[in-house]
Amino acid sequence: PTAAMPFPGSGADDAFDYLFKIILIGDSNVGKTCVVHRFKTGQYNEKQQNTIGVDFTVRSMDIDGKKVKIQVWDTAGQERFRTITQSYYRSAHGAILAYDLTRRSTFESIPHWIHEIEKYGAANLVMMLIGNKSDSLDKRQVLFEDACTLAEKHGLLAVLETSAKEAQNIEEVFTLMAKELIARNTLQLHGENPPNSFSLDSRPVIASPTVEKTQCSC
Amino acid sequence: EEEEAKLQNGGFLPCPPLPAGGVPSGTALEEPLRSCRLRSEAERRGGTAAESPSPPRSPGGDAGSRVLAAPGLRTCRDRAEPAALPPAPLAFTDVNLNSRNTYEVSRRRSAPEHLPHGGTTPAEPAPPPQEPAEKARHRAGIAGAGSSFAEFFTRNFFTKRTKELKPAVQSAPGWKLFGKVPPRENLPKDSKIIQQEYEARTGRMYKPPPPSARRKNIEFEPLSTTALILEDRPANLPAKSVEEALRHRQEYDEMVAEAKKREIKEAHKRKKIMRERFKQEENIASAMVIWVNEILPNWEGMRATRRVRELWWQGLPPSVRGKVWSLAVGNELNITPELYEIFLSRAKERWKSFSETGSENDIEDAGASVADREASLELIKLDISRTFPSLYIFQKGGPYHDLLHSVLGAYTCYRPDVGYVQGMSFIAAVLILNLEEADAFIAFANLLNKPCQLAFFRVDHSMMLKYFAAFEVFFEENLPKLFLHFKSYSLTPDIYLIDWIFTLYSKSLPLDLACRVWDVFCRDGEEFLFRTGLGILRLYEDILLQMDFIHIAQFLTKLPEDITSEKLFSCIAAIQMQNSNKKWAQVFASLMKDNKEGDKNHSPAPKS
Repeated sequence: PTAAMPFPGSGADDAFDYLFKIILIGDSNVGKTCVVHRFKTGQYNEKQQNTIGVDFTVRSMDIDGKKVKIQVWDTAGQERFRTITQSYYRSAHGAILAYDLTRRSTFESIPHWIHEIEKYGAANLVMMLIGNKSDSLDKRQVLFEDACTLAEKHGLLAVLETSAKEAQNIEEVFTLMAKELIARNTLQLHGENPPNSFSLDSRPVIASPTVEKTQCSC
Repeated sequence: EEEEAKLQNGGFLPCPPLPAGGVPSGTALEEPLRSCRLRSEAERRGGTAAESPSPPRSPGGDAGSRVLAAPGLRTCRDRAEPAALPPAPLAFTDVNLNSRNTYEVSRRRSAPEHLPHGGTTPAEPAPPPQEPAEKARHRAGIAGAGSSFAEFFTRNFFTKRTKELKPAVQSAPGWKLFGKVPPRENLPKDSKIIQQEYEARTGRMYKPPPPSARRKNIEFEPLSTTALILEDRPANLPAKSVEEALRHRQEYDEMVAEAKKREIKEAHKRKKIMRERFKQEENIASAMVIWVNEILPNWEGMRATRRVRELWWQGLPPSVRGKVWSLAVGNELNITPELYEIFLSRAKERWKSFSETGSENDIEDAGASVADREASLELIKLDISRTFPSLYIFQKGGPYHDLLHSVLGAYTCYRPDVGYVQGMSFIAAVLILNLEEADAFIAFANLLNKPCQLAFFRVDHSMMLKYFAAFEVFFEENLPKLFLHFKSYSLTPDIYLIDWIFTLYSKSLPLDLACRVWDVFCRDGEEFLFRTGLGILRLYEDILLQMDFIHIAQFLTKLPEDITSEKLFSCIAAIQMQNSNKKWAQVFASLMKDNKEGDKNHSPAPKS
């Protein structure tokens, strides 16, 4: 079901309507890199090496006729690396918090991760919770209800149980995040907040032609 | 929480406002404009149910996968901002909501999954049969281990272990084109017979080349040409005219000649590659003799000589690689094999008590630093099989799994102040591939005791920034255009250097190439790590200049796999580690001095 994206060449896919930076965080070995790999290539790589520092992935999605470029900053999970990864939170638009639903301890770390984001991320950063490895339900240690309770408590956008292995809900995670970010961005354009409160280090979030277009449609 | 709804199949996506046809029109169906800041519990959105009028993409399709997908998703809408959107096409205001009923239904449906042992689940298909471990291993062995092993062996990695493992490698002679084509069942003739028949039919003579010449040119024997057969038309069709037959004959001859030419050319190419490989192996063999007979016996006297340094740059012969690394890294810490055994047994005790106290939940009670240490014990376990997974030798049950576990475990006991940090497993693994266990540990501990490695593995941010700053000095000096390009995107070196330095390139470069980088790293020290980084940037400069921030970051954190040592090393060689007559160490020292002076008002937080 997931279309594999070719390796983006130079300049080939430069045009986009939206560009979002999404940071992917969570304990080590919950499957963050596998989730991104599935999202990017449509494939599952069982033999994933661990991530040191940050890995980067970019993919364009078509959402309601808009070309949305999604940058995923896939971070190392080990506690020790948090001081490094914290510095990458600031310019992120969204954060996907991942736990492994077969390992309770990874879920129990989620409040710490949320705290990190609240401390180092932008105030309007969108957070989502994903419980990965839903293909191993017989080893489940985290009830979906618990995840929902936690998400509600912290005002997260959504909870999804995913399986990078069986391609469950992966596409949906990023679609949902992108839609929410588009919605918020559209809101900001109409509201009093200047749109550049959402700025990235490298590129403008919204290409100018889109701004006009969006305004016209309302 | 009763309003919470489970979603089916990504049915959460905003759909255009609908008169709740399929969806039970619930109390929670919301008025977009009024609800903006007045969200109550009842309005908290759960999303839509499976009956949602336009589920965007149904990941499964059959009922089973829908049920599986069901518990996976829910939206929680505590934050009100999006609701304040005008009803623009992209707004979230038009999400259809479930009534409590729908929720209950879906909840009931998905319930069995929450409680694995709770009752029957007729709708749920049996979990996909676990692939028998053996089969999986076999498959992985072909896909991963097979190829990588073969490559690994041809590159002479396992100097000591080659013999016992070699039979696993099947050598298929690449040039025997038709050896792999199964003969057609009703045509059990071999190509020579076909050829002879054809010759007989056309009246041409089949002239077998003289046997001696044949044997001599065996590698050049064109093969596919004999399988191309010129046939007359079947009897039920009118025969070819003389003209047509002649033309076909001519075309046939041309095709055969062309194929022969091509095959001979390819055979030449193969032979050339073979010759180069032989030459390389000869070089390695002769270098090995020099290393073993001349250099190693006079190590201290010869290590710094020009001749040895040059030979060193060419790459160490795998059979002496471990030895030379050990000598070059040294043993400042005076670790003995006995000391290693002591720390190993300590580590084993801890693993034992750790597994006895059982679950990870206990960690929570045990104070932060202990928890961190225990977590790093647990982490080692998880990381080992994620170290060079494609080689398959560090996986659970693989030949080096326990060895890697031991070395890393012993290190955490030896240096609790550093502990286990991700990235270490790659370094230890490369050492294990080249050294005996205790020697690998000694080299590992000493290597990590170098200032640069200590700074990184302790995640000493201000020190790391000094290294990055020094790197940028030489980056600007050597590749000014690319340096400005990176600057224009605020692309700082931490983005790519962290991975490279932490694993000493063993994760980012092909393993044989990484070992060559290690060779010279052992010769030149930390400076070479940064020089290698610049060499990589130089190698790909033209491509990188065309890319934007994210594509550069993506490219550099996943380097192409076809990178060759010749190209990379010629690029590294072209990098000058001189900045207005200052060498790396001097540049770094002056940056450190700045650090001390500006310490009071300097924030250790990285830029980026």
